[in-house]
Amino acid sequence: MTEDEFTDINGKAISLQCQSHSNFCREFTVSAPKLSLRRIMVYTCSVWLVAYVVFFFTQNTAVLSSAIFITLVGMMLHIHFVKIDHETLLIVGSLGVQVSSSYASGRESTTFIEMSKIKDIVINEAIYMQRVIYSLCILLKDPSDPGAVSTVVPLFQSSKPRLNCLVKVYRSCQEILAQC
Amino acid sequence: MGQRKRAAIRDSLANQIMDGITLGHQDSPKHNICMVSDFFYPNMGGVESHIYQLSQCLIERGHKVIIVTHAYGNRKGIRYLTNALKVYYLPLQVMYNQSTATTCFHSLPLLRCVFVRERITVVHAHSSFSAMAHDSLFHAKTMGLNTVFTDHSLFGFADVSSVLTNKLLTVSLCDTSHIICVSYTSKENTVLRAALDPEIVSVIPNAVDPTDFTPDPSQRDDSKITIVVISRLVYRKGIDLLGGIIPELCLKYPQLHFLIGGEGPKRIVLEEVREKYQLHDRVRLLGALEHKDVRNVLIQGHIFLNTSLTEAFCMAIVEGASCGLQVVSTRVGGIPEVLPKELITLCEPTVSSLCEGLEMVIARQRAGTVPPPATIHSRVRTLYTWRNVAERTEKVYDRVAKETVQPLHRRLHRLQAHCGPVAGCIFAFIAVLDFLFLLLLQWLVPDSVIDLAVDASGPHALWKRSGNRKHSV
Amino acid sequence: MVLKIFFPRCCNSADSGLLVGRWLPGQESAVVLAVIHYPFIPGQVKRYLSELQAQSQVELSVLGSWSMPKEGQEGMESFLKDLSTIFPQDRWLQLSRGAGRRGFACQLVERGGGSAQDGGDGGGDSDGVIFVHYDQRKVMLSQLHPPEGGGGANGTAEPSELRLVFQTVARSQPLFATDQYDDGPLKVTHWQSEGREASIIVELTKQASVPLCALLTWLLSLWTRLCRISLFNMWPVRFVTSKLSTCVQLSYRTDHLRTVSSPKKASDHMEFMRKANIFVSFFVDVALGLLLISWLYRANRISRLADILVPAADHVAKELQELLQWLMGAPAGLKMNRALDQVLGRFFLYHIHLWISYIHLMSPFIERILWYVGLSACLGLTFALSVLSDIVALLTFHIYCFYVYGARLYCLKIYGLSSLWRLFRGKKWNVLRQRVDSCSYDLDQLFIGTLLFTILLFLLPTTALYYLVFTLLRLVAVLFQGVIHLSVDFINSFPLFAMGLRLCRPYRLAEGVKFRVLSEEPGKPLHLMMEINPLKYSSVLQWYRTPTYSCYPKDSWVALCKKLFVGELIYPWKRKGTKTD
Repeated sequence: MTEDEFTDINGKAISLQCQSHSNFCREFTVSAPKLSLRRIMVYTCSVWLVAYVVFFFTQNTAVLSSAIFITLVGMMLHIHFVKIDHETLLIVGSLGVQVSSSYASGRESTTFIEMSKIKDIVINEAIYMQRVIYSLCILLKDPSDPGAVSTVVPLFQSSKPRLNCLVKVYRSCQEILAQC
Repeated sequence: MGQRKRAAIRDSLANQIMDGITLGHQDSPKHNICMVSDFFYPNMGGVESHIYQLSQCLIERGHKVIIVTHAYGNRKGIRYLTNALKVYYLPLQVMYNQSTATTCFHSLPLLRCVFVRERITVVHAHSSFSAMAHDSLFHAKTMGLNTVFTDHSLFGFADVSSVLTNKLLTVSLCDTSHIICVSYTSKENTVLRAALDPEIVSVIPNAVDPTDFTPDPSQRDDSKITIVVISRLVYRKGIDLLGGIIPELCLKYPQLHFLIGGEGPKRIVLEEVREKYQLHDRVRLLGALEHKDVRNVLIQGHIFLNTSLTEAFCMAIVEGASCGLQVVSTRVGGIPEVLPKELITLCEPTVSSLCEGLEMVIARQRAGTVPPPATIHSRVRTLYTWRNVAERTEKVYDRVAKETVQPLHRRLHRLQAHCGPVAGCIFAFIAVLDFLFLLLLQWLVPDSVIDLAVDASGPHALWKRSGNRKHSV
Repeated sequence: MVLKIFFPRCCNSADSGLLVGRWLPGQESAVVLAVIHYPFIPGQVKRYLSELQAQSQVELSVLGSWSMPKEGQEGMESFLKDLSTIFPQDRWLQLSRGAGRRGFACQLVERGGGSAQDGGDGGGDSDGVIFVHYDQRKVMLSQLHPPEGGGGANGTAEPSELRLVFQTVARSQPLFATDQYDDGPLKVTHWQSEGREASIIVELTKQASVPLCALLTWLLSLWTRLCRISLFNMWPVRFVTSKLSTCVQLSYRTDHLRTVSSPKKASDHMEFMRKANIFVSFFVDVALGLLLISWLYRANRISRLADILVPAADHVAKELQELLQWLMGAPAGLKMNRALDQVLGRFFLYHIHLWISYIHLMSPFIERILWYVGLSACLGLTFALSVLSDIVALLTFHIYCFYVYGARLYCLKIYGLSSLWRLFRGKKWNVLRQRVDSCSYDLDQLFIGTLLFTILLFLLPTTALYYLVFTLLRLVAVLFQGVIHLSVDFINSFPLFAMGLRLCRPYRLAEGVKFRVLSEEPGKPLHLMMEINPLKYSSVLQWYRTPTYSCYPKDSWVALCKKLFVGELIYPWKRKGTKTD
């Protein structure tokens, strides 16, 4: 098991964990930095300040309680639906590829793609927001036409590592794909 | 002076050495070139094929070339064409006639990302109709890159829209390093419109791939005479003239047939003519043609007719001549320079004059005094080749690469001095804003964070070395 | 090639014996279903397997041997090895689990010609083997999505490996029927059901449901015959029933009940789920309706409602009258064509007059009507809502009339203007070719056309104003009806049963699987745990939504705006005739 430090496309530090379970089974985990306390504090404080200013002028206490409610619900929604803690790619030769992402709240969403459906794993260039970035993608076969690609499944969608990290994952994936 | 020069150049323009460029024989450095235009495949036309062919020849000569255009429908993202020619289809909003909307700023983040990750040294923009080309020139200058602009079209001076476009062109070109025009008429036009120093304007004509357009007389039906017209069916191409010619000639010559390829808003004019005069069997409308089908249409005809009202350099007539057809064309813009006198019949852009010219050619065709197609082809073949165009463009790049890009204060000064007090000040202000926006972007996403792209073409090309390792979708 | 062995978790600590399962065709994988314990008589095993095969249509076979060393069973290994001669197979698996160790050892013995190819594996190279552990009960009960037969197009494609595993386990249900305590000749280890406490009640319900279904079917057939009487098929009746949402809902519910009460057994999973969904949603609907009734008929709420309703309708009519008076003057300071304005205003005023007298005629009976209509809620909440929608439609009939008049007039003007505009430019619409041609007109044609164009153009603002005002009123009514339709459709189509299943038994509806790496010992085969990945709630909704007369907007917002602009009539969002899945 090795752990390397890389950066994502915005220059933030992420870590890539490669775990080799056997010759044909590898697991890659890209972990994003933890939710920083400072940012939470900043957001909470700003919402509360705004609420207090509104309260100061309207003298309505409902504003304050709703502000507390909003921050709590917002934080809960954020860690449950938005903030992804780490993303895992498990590739098992001749069985398939499993992509899972776990949220900060512990919720996990997993997809397993069988090897018979996978055409290839590639590094692709994509236009993302106002950037052109590299991303690792799984190409799925079109069941009606074996030569064609029906869908492209992008990997590490939330952490978005840079090219050097992707190349590392790509090389090991290709090694496993070449075996079977 | 322009008249004199044109007269001197007319018959052998293609073999001339470009003016304004001194020939140097040192081993030229390789450039990273970015071609920018709104017009590229799958859109069809002269500019599109010019960019494609030029890029292919430059790649052959060892440069790295990428093309940037806007997304065409479902075709967006990054694609690779033949010989690892990389095309960025950027998701920018199309406003009118396949040209993107411009706000001067919104395209900067994407274009900057492309320029940085591809390590571009020369930005080459095409066509003055393309807002994206002007935007990219503007941003490239802000980023301190060398810029080249190719003008493919002619403009008037009189009407309001021309005045406005000309002003815009003046601003856009006033600190562009070098400008390329496709014919001398076009050069004159551009120099006048944009108030440029003629020294930095070169003429490099378009070319055709002669191997694609070989004659094949066996495909013709010699029992009748076929006139071929291949152009987009728009006002600029003089389709209304064509609509006047067809009934007049068809009445006189019962064995005359028309073969019309292309699509556009003026198609209805031709359809109406066809219905009104019952010419369904003699006027065939083929609709939009793919580039590979053009030759198959051309070789079926005897005469190639071009009715353009304005044209900087007409590639269609060269293609027609290359297929061994007699060419009849209007005498407008740069057309007189394109082909030597004996290969073309020039007329005024009126119905009567065009009919006269056509009748003359038909008479010659009947008498059998026209040269055989193979002779015409062999003459045209050497006139315009893409290799030649690429060589000459390369020299422009070499020259541009030696120049230094003007820093911001010099640029502002020049804008104010060159473009008039009002427009100059406005655009100087926009240039400053653009620069500030660039600084903001550089702070948000530093250059070091942008991944350098893997070269697909050029001296460090990955594809040549390791085969087809990378995939594109 | 890597060999995959799908191994049930319950057999982890079984006694030594034979592995029963199936080699998946075309795949390098085997599904182990059960372990037959030592001692056994080979002939009996063979007979037992062939019986099972006939029952379940799964090619069951003996895959190999399983050894779990215990005290006092030395020499077992060699015995198990020799078994391969008794059960002739192309490949013979030898799984063994060391005492106190978690991992298994695996040996693959090839027989005949095949051994040459896979010689590397056969030599006991345990690196090329993956053990996938699965929970037999969950895999057996779960339904992999998309279900088979659902997509007819890809039915021809080869089923994927996972699907084959799920199929094999689900089909070999007869194998799991033998109980732990059965005193048969063979001792088998596999998944055991924990017991059947509620089974008596289930059986009783099953027995009772048969006559109940028959009764329902008979009643339904009676109802359909009643509907088919020619009196109801005459034009005006049929037209009215197709417009009233109560009648639509009635026919819809009849359809549902017919589906549920059909005595045929559901042939596949989707059909079963559909029946269950309809059944549950029907019950919930009726329960909600009864709740509504119990609220409505208490404390004299009906009469109070009626007392509110009549003055409200009156009030609306009064407001409309005032609005028309305003329009007949100079609305918002606009100067209208006086003559046309007066004509239109009087026309509409007369209509309102008619309407008011109609309401007054009705008012003594309103309470009665409401009382009886309220009873319909015992058929379900959806009925109550549909009735409400119909009442609203009837009470806003005058607005609808105004709207239609305004729209027709406006539409005619727009149409005339557009064709005269073409005449103006020397063009005409070519009907045969569906395009605009150029055309040369005579002088008098042009003159008349221009005159008409001018007249129409100057009269347009007056008409447009009336049209605008009544369209806005109409839109409010349509919006209200649309909301009711949406809620009715929601209750009708919401897959309650599937949602409940997903909530309480997530494994029953599987989207796929997920794997977890169990243990890794160098030199030992890889062990993976296969778990079931439950379907997302959104996909549950997508898969199991009961197909309905969809009430989503028929056309996009842009198309709607265009229709409004041109003056075409708009209707509540209801699509007739086409069923959307």
